[in-house]
This record gives sequence, C-alpha cells and structure tokens, in this order.
Amino acid sequence: MAMVNPYYPIPIKIKKIIPETPTITTFILDGKPMQFEAGQFMELTVPGIGEAPFTPSSSPYADDLEFTIMKVGRVTSSLFSCKEGDTVGVRGPFGKPYPLDKFRGKEIYIVGGGVGFAPLRSLFLALLHNIKDYKKLYIRYGARTPEDIVYRRLLPEWENTKGVDIVLTVDVGNNSWKGNVGVVTVILDDIPVDVAKSPAIVCGPPIMLKFVTQRLIEAGFNHDSIYLSMESNMSCGIGKCNHCRIGEYYVCKDGPVLTWDEIKHIEEPFV
Amino acid sequence: MKIYLLPSDNLFDFVLKLAEDGSVFYPKLEDRATHLVRFDKDKKFEPDFTHIRTAETVKHILFPSRDVVATFPKDEKRKGEKQFLLGVKACDLRGVEVYDRVFLKTDPVDPFYRLKRENTLIISADCPEPDDYCFCNLVGLHPYGETVCDINITEVSNGFVFEPVSPQGEKLVQAHAKLFEEASADDLKEREKLRREAQKTLGKVNEKEFSKDLPDRVESSDRRTMHKARENCVECYGCLHCCPTCYCFLLSDFKKAKTVERVRTWDACYYPAYARVGGGANPRSNLDERFWNRFNCKFNYFHKYEGIYACAGCGRCYRGCSGKIDIREILWQW
Repeated sequence: MAMVNPYYPIPIKIKKIIPETPTITTFILDGKPMQFEAGQFMELTVPGIGEAPFTPSSSPYADDLEFTIMKVGRVTSSLFSCKEGDTVGVRGPFGKPYPLDKFRGKEIYIVGGGVGFAPLRSLFLALLHNIKDYKKLYIRYGARTPEDIVYRRLLPEWENTKGVDIVLTVDVGNNSWKGNVGVVTVILDDIPVDVAKSPAIVCGPPIMLKFVTQRLIEAGFNHDSIYLSMESNMSCGIGKCNHCRIGEYYVCKDGPVLTWDEIKHIEEPFV
Repeated sequence: MKIYLLPSDNLFDFVLKLAEDGSVFYPKLEDRATHLVRFDKDKKFEPDFTHIRTAETVKHILFPSRDVVATFPKDEKRKGEKQFLLGVKACDLRGVEVYDRVFLKTDPVDPFYRLKRENTLIISADCPEPDDYCFCNLVGLHPYGETVCDINITEVSNGFVFEPVSPQGEKLVQAHAKLFEEASADDLKEREKLRREAQKTLGKVNEKEFSKDLPDRVESSDRRTMHKARENCVECYGCLHCCPTCYCFLLSDFKKAKTVERVRTWDACYYPAYARVGGGANPRSNLDERFWNRFNCKFNYFHKYEGIYACAGCGRCYRGCSGKIDIREILWQW
C-alpha cells in the first residue's frame, strides 16, 4: 500500500525504566521515531496485548521519547512487566498541541495532580527550552502522599530555575513531610498571576479537573484560557472509531486538551 | 449524461461481463428478504430489484466486521480487488456517503476503506415498493440513487433504465455499449411513474416530517427523557450492528506464531464498556446516556459537521429490534 498505515505502530526498544512512585514508572524509549509538539499524544503498543494513549512526558526537543505511566489497566500492567531492551510499538502523534504562540510573554499557571504531571512535564520542558519567551512559569502540583510525588529526582533542579515557581501539596503527609497538606485546591487559594491575561493548564484525575476548574473560574481566569487534559476511552487516535467522543468533540482529534470554554456546555464533562 | 436502456434479455450478459473484471454482488430474494449475494455464473441468476434494501448492509463489503489493519513488527501490503455492487438502494448509498466522509474525506484517510472503495463500482437501483419500516424520505433521500453511486438503474417493462451518475459509470456503459440502447421517452415516463408511486407510499407511511431544527432539539433534550424511549430495549445492540451508517470500531491485537495482528472489529456505542477508561471510570455507564449519545451522534453532531444525518432511513434498526423500538417515534417527539 502506497499510503501510510495510520494503524501501524513503529517498533521501538525500551532503553531505560525509571520507577517514579510505587505505581508510576517512566519508560525511556530508544530514540524518537516521530516529532511531536507538547500536548499531542501517542498510542503505545505492548505487542500482542494492545495499545493505550499516552502523552509523552519528555521534551519535544529531546532525542528520546519518554512516557511516565501509572499502572491502572490491562495494557499498562503488561507494560510494567516489560524490561529494558524489550520492543514496544508507538504511533502518532495525535491531537492538537498546546498553543504555545498564545502563551508568549505571559505568566503560565500549570496545575497538576498525580500522574497528570507526566504530560505537563513535556509542556514544562518545552516552555523551559525557550524560557525567555515567557514571563514566569508556575507549577502547582498535588499527589496523594509524599511517596506518590512523581519526578522527585528532577524537582530540586526545576525549583532552582530562575523564572520557575513550584508549590507542592499532598493529600496525606507523613513524619518527614514538611510541606502543604490537602488536595491541590489548597495551594490555589492565593494565585499570584494576572489571571485575566494568563493561561491556566490543568492535568489530573477527573475529580481534580472539576474542582480546579471551579477554582480557576472563581479566581477570574478567562474560560478560553483554562486548558484541560480530557481523559477518554480511545482506540484509533485519528477521529474515526468514535470511542473518545465527548459532546461534539473527538478527544483524539479536537483534544486531548480542550478549553473550559469549549466544553462548558457539556453535562458533566469530567467523569 | 445520457440515459440508456438495458433490455431485460441482456442483463445476464452484462453481469457476465462485469464478473470477468471482478466480484459482482446482487440482491437475491430468500425467505421474504433480499440478501446481498455473490454472482456465480454457474448458478441460477435471479436478482430482485423490486424488494426493499437487502437484509445485510453494504458495510459488510466496504467495511468488514473483522479486518486485519496492521501486522507487527513488519506491516504487510494489501492488494485491492475489483468489485461491483448491483442493486444497492438509496438508503444504503447514504451509508456509503457517511463512510466516505469519515474514512476518505476526513484526514487522515483510512487506507483500508479507500482500497475497497476505489475498487468498487456501485450500481444502485430504484426502490419501487417501500414498506412500513422505510423512512428514507425523512432523512433527505429519494427512493432512488442520485449521488454516491456510479449508475442508477430502474426496472421498467422493457428492461432496465441505466442512468450513469459518475464518469466511471458512463465509462462502464460505454465499454459494453453493444448491450445498451438509448432509453425511450416511454421508458422514462414509466420510471417517473414508478418513482412518484414510491414517494407517495413513503409519504403515506411517514406523514409527519422531522423538526427542521432536529439537531438542536436533540442536543438540548434532557438525557433522562431517553429513559422512556429505551424502556423496551433488551440491550442486544443489534440496531447498531445492522445500521448502514454506524461506523464505530475497536482495534485489538492478537498474537500469531511470529507476528502480532491488529484487528479492527465493528463496535457499538450501546455496549456498557464502550467509553470506559483504563482506570475504570465510565462517562456513559447508564443506558440512558448511551441512547442520548447515539441520537446526538446521528442527528446532531454528524449533521453539524457534514450537513446530513448519519441515518439512512432504512428501518433495519426497527425491523430487527426485539423491543420494537421505532426510531421515528423517538425523533418525532422532538
């Protein structure tokens, strides 16, 4: 067939596996068979098991593709039993990237929860790559416990980067945790950005999206400046199979990031 | 384009000629329903162009229920095979139109559908005897092929009126010009009469039109009102699998001796796990939600983007429904 087969995954080896938390692991692949922009996602195949959609957690400028994945279902469980050197498959990229052009010169307010930090890391690294283009980068991140915080190995460096402001919280602390305790909205009481002009970018579990969105609206962010990573069942990734439909949108094609303005008419968009 | 007549006696020869170039599928009456069967020159050829659409939709041919769409790690190439679909009714042409828009006209193109579609010539046929399940007139169709097909035929007393619709259709007639004559004024008059009668029947069966603003009404409808509409649903989901416009599918991977096959199978949005995500959350765990989604998919979203309903008015969903849910009754409420 002369045409590109959009269902065919390109084989690629797993180069390195880095456990991040008891349930979340980063898989570094050996290379980057296709370019992508922050916000776009890919379908990752475990040969013979199936595939599932993930947004890369690596910078679009990096040489190797990385995915930070939580073990939740059939495909991810199989992926967690893969070893370094094993072959997986990848196809994509799919969906629309974050509109970085629109973010230029602005303060960027990023809110993440749990494994939702994975796609946000890719965005964060893309922003860092051209940090002089942006006024300031804010990260507000919540995890269940201190052990569940992803990228602990990378946080100190990010925290010490000029123009970056990071605040963390955990739902449940422990003896050694000296930081904030409470769900992510507890660190959103005081929002130090010019809300009328800034984009807010959110990724996390649906319940978190719901409450964070409420908080951001209340704080005065424009509805079309609240960018939400939508979760949905996906199969084809190319806007054909119909699985990922939310209202009139295909999450795979029109998303995976949609603004609150685009989805607010949908009854219960966060399920 | 010119309109031709294929004398009745030449039909078999014409089909024989087609069969030299590829597979020919035609409607054959068996047990009070027509079925799309493959032409075999050694078997009795008794096509039925009068009866309503075939029991099977043409999606079985253009978009098979199970299809290998990739092999891993090395993909295999596939060749197309020429085929002719004879006697397709207007409702099933709507199905093809929906598929064309989804798989061919929206990027990226689906190479598997394209391969089949580009190798398929569609000769549609008038539908002179719509029955009580038919409602193509309510979804913007006439009971004869006007678009999507390559040729439309009408069975008249002298034979078959052949009207080429596409250049490929005209080329096909030209290639077998010896078998054809020019259609006479009487042939065309007879065709008009048959069409008028068919439309009259459809008008009688479906006296009420759907609302002009049906898409908006479907969208603003309360999901809980769907509960009444689906009260008799036994959750067999047959209505979706027999639908000529439903195109949902699922990709699954299967291990073979040395490779992995990625298989595409039909799926249906009524299945409870259809929208369930990896973590277990399900935005449409309730059947009312799934009904609402189906009606919006067909009568709101598709219309919004493509300007046509993703419904053929073929009535298969009603005819096959164990709970006898008439889709028209639901749509007329709005």
